[in-house]
Amino acid sequence: MSTEYVPAMTFHPQPQPGTPTPWAFPAPERAALGNGITVLHCHRPGQQLVAVDVLLDAPLAAEPEGLDGVASILARALSEGTDTLTAEEFAAELERAGATLDAHADHPCIRVSLEVPASRLARGLDLLAAALGSPALPEDEIERLVANRLDEIVHEQANPARRAAKALYASLFDAADRLSRPRGGSAETVKTIDRAAVRAFYEGHVRPATTTVVVVGDLTGTDLPALLESTLGGWKGAQAAPAAHAPVTGDDTGRVIIVDRPGSVQTQLLIGRIGPDRHDPAWAAQILGTYCLGGTLTSRLDRVLREEKGYTYGVRAFAQPLRSAPDGSGRAMLAISGSVDTASTAPALADTWTILRTLAAEGLTDAEREEAVQFLVGVAPLKYETAGSVAGTLADQVEQHLADDFQAEVYRQLAELSTAAATEAVVSAFPPDRLVTVLVGDASAFADQVRELGIGEVTVIGA
Amino acid sequence: MANPAPASEQRGIAITEHRLANGLRVVLSEDHLTPVAAVCLWYDVGSRHEVKGRTGLAHLFEHLMFQGSANVSNNGHFELVQGAGGSLNGTTSFERTNYFETMPAHQLELALWLEADRMGSLLAALDDASMENQRDVVKNERRQRYDNVPYGTAFERLTALSFPDGHPYHHTPIGSMADLDAATLEDARAFFRTYYAPNNAVLSVVGDIDPEQAIAWVEKYFGSIPAHDGKQPPRDGSLPESIGREIRELIREDVPSRALMAAYRLPHDGTREADAADLALTVLGSGESSRLYNRLVRRDRTAVAAGFGLLRLSGAPSLGWLDVKTSGDATVEQIEAAVDEELARFAAEGPTAAELERAQAQIEREWLDRLTTVAGRADELCRYAVLFGDPKLLNDALPKVLDVTAEEVRAVAAARLHPQNRAVLVYEPTTAEDTAADTAATAETDEEGAAV
Repeated sequence: MSTEYVPAMTFHPQPQPGTPTPWAFPAPERAALGNGITVLHCHRPGQQLVAVDVLLDAPLAAEPEGLDGVASILARALSEGTDTLTAEEFAAELERAGATLDAHADHPCIRVSLEVPASRLARGLDLLAAALGSPALPEDEIERLVANRLDEIVHEQANPARRAAKALYASLFDAADRLSRPRGGSAETVKTIDRAAVRAFYEGHVRPATTTVVVVGDLTGTDLPALLESTLGGWKGAQAAPAAHAPVTGDDTGRVIIVDRPGSVQTQLLIGRIGPDRHDPAWAAQILGTYCLGGTLTSRLDRVLREEKGYTYGVRAFAQPLRSAPDGSGRAMLAISGSVDTASTAPALADTWTILRTLAAEGLTDAEREEAVQFLVGVAPLKYETAGSVAGTLADQVEQHLADDFQAEVYRQLAELSTAAATEAVVSAFPPDRLVTVLVGDASAFADQVRELGIGEVTVIGA
Repeated sequence: MANPAPASEQRGIAITEHRLANGLRVVLSEDHLTPVAAVCLWYDVGSRHEVKGRTGLAHLFEHLMFQGSANVSNNGHFELVQGAGGSLNGTTSFERTNYFETMPAHQLELALWLEADRMGSLLAALDDASMENQRDVVKNERRQRYDNVPYGTAFERLTALSFPDGHPYHHTPIGSMADLDAATLEDARAFFRTYYAPNNAVLSVVGDIDPEQAIAWVEKYFGSIPAHDGKQPPRDGSLPESIGREIRELIREDVPSRALMAAYRLPHDGTREADAADLALTVLGSGESSRLYNRLVRRDRTAVAAGFGLLRLSGAPSLGWLDVKTSGDATVEQIEAAVDEELARFAAEGPTAAELERAQAQIEREWLDRLTTVAGRADELCRYAVLFGDPKLLNDALPKVLDVTAEEVRAVAAARLHPQNRAVLVYEPTTAEDTAADTAATAETDEEGAAV
């Protein structure tokens, strides 16, 4: 030690909070366009970037046999030109409007997101309407998108986190369930996709009647119903029934899959199973308990793995809905994810299981519950400061067949949940003997040690 | 310009400035739309202040700032802010270290108390246990973000090629494993005593605040922290406008595809020429209507992703960042020939009116996006105060970009975007047959401190 350190400043007691300003998750208004599009809209003063989220009822499970990835190619092809604009012209017009348009296909639907300055909302909606209602889906651009996708698959395979997710989904779900296979398809399926397949998927699943549009931002001076009717309202299409979603099941027998990468300096961990989605009455309690387990750097996992042992830059526990249905037969992925230096692989797993077993035996403390509630509820005004974040959550609610006030209700429940309820939810979400562990790393350095942990049969597969 | 978005011209941001007797500069901006308040503190120290053998120290030190101070326990900073419904983090770049909390408005005072406690009394809590633990955490951060990722060390390699050995920007903020191992507790203490002083910092408070109350709290909590003047200016980062030759390195690694990356030496941040360069790079390589995307991805089909990014630096030349990942069997030679052809054409002809209009609209949207949150505004105010001496410059930033002419854009491209002014990094995969690419990587400036 050097000389005794005496701070020169004057200290004051820790201040007490002032009076909170009431805040509630914004309630959207609903409307319907003449062509059957469902609209949710929400005025957020000051938010000059307007977010428009579109849900197209084209789930991955609807992809034809052998054509995994056609929904992803369609999503990208929507912005590759229209009946009046070439792909290059369409991209230029979007940028001229200061807009961005992103689209991706996931298990529940295709999501298209437009972000545009409020002053150019009309132009942005024009372009969006053309992309949805009269996309050119040109053959040469689709060929290019297919080639790009094939290239990307190789990169995804090299990314430790993506590789871990692919192995976990493949192991957890039955091979017949679309959930078991990569969202964007495999090289074998993607290379068979052509314009006819993309066009057929568009014709079969993209229609105004099964489309929902969420608009959030500063809408001062905008006659939104008239504007939407004059843009998206011009898209014509046949009536259609909404897609049905099959129940989700998964095999969570405790086991370990090592994706061998000789020479890796770190091991990517992904430890998961499936569990309740947002339809379950225990959802809010599960959010609270999962946060206490691994939501932040002061949660149970990082308190040991990062802040005591230094094994990792950070490990997180989370719940991510996969596919939901109105009857509650959907499920979420429940997982613990992070990376640790190679030598710490088995010790980090041992600590993780000790943390889970201790949690099951002793439960959460009231202090943990209190801090977590204060964070989860208190941070909501920050989390939903931007139009994009509000639109995203409203779109999630629609996608998962939830009421428009679902998120607002979650906040009300969180504030009142008991420590026991949070403990029960997180313990049942992460039972130590029902977890599938994927490790992407150098098997020769830790496979034997992992076998000795007794967390399930160990299988080593190639990278 | 022909295509302005009227909304952005409606209001500048209201800004007031103060300076405490100990030299702490304070910037306030009031906005009551949402009941939140952002606190941002920029210390005028970054990796450019580090010395040989101690790379990574500024960033490692940033981690130590979360390990407690006289009245705050180890990790208490995180517990108290999150327990109050706030979010927080810190990041380290070449030129500065920042710390920020976004709080529900009624918890603002807590964030100020916490920042003052560690500014004034960090050394009362700093010990070997924290140092050893955070050294391991940072080494794992380095592995996770750079060493265990395909192309992960490209940024570090290109930076080292772009700035000569001994230049303050030659190394990146994450530092080397050997230097992280070598750092001592006494190094950390000396670093704090040298750089963490009120007269070496700018504090901004933005959002649903009462400015009089806010400045009274700032005075109460920070006012008694003594100023000190131990800081040496960073080593001079000035360099000739052009490298004068091409610097090149070939990497053979187990990566998924070939890649061509390059860094071009560009004007310093804060100059009109830097804004012109930003527009040039946007026209050439930002978004799906850019020249490189149209040429390489759409027409030649030799790349999956092709783009330019701008790393703005004020104390050294900025860097224009090219990143192209090949598609299929395309070679780096094909890519390079096409890139050079596009750059030469652009240098001769400049942007079309339509291209300039689009580039300005894109930059305008990005600017709106950055200023849409109180935290974004707080960070920008600190940036203009620390790097350019005046937070009010923030309100002029966008009009300046919109004022740049096509000829200025052409001129900066002609002067800077050519092979004699770049460092090039070529990747050739060691496991040959697969070639592919993902989205264009951007030049990461920040090392996240404590990930939330």
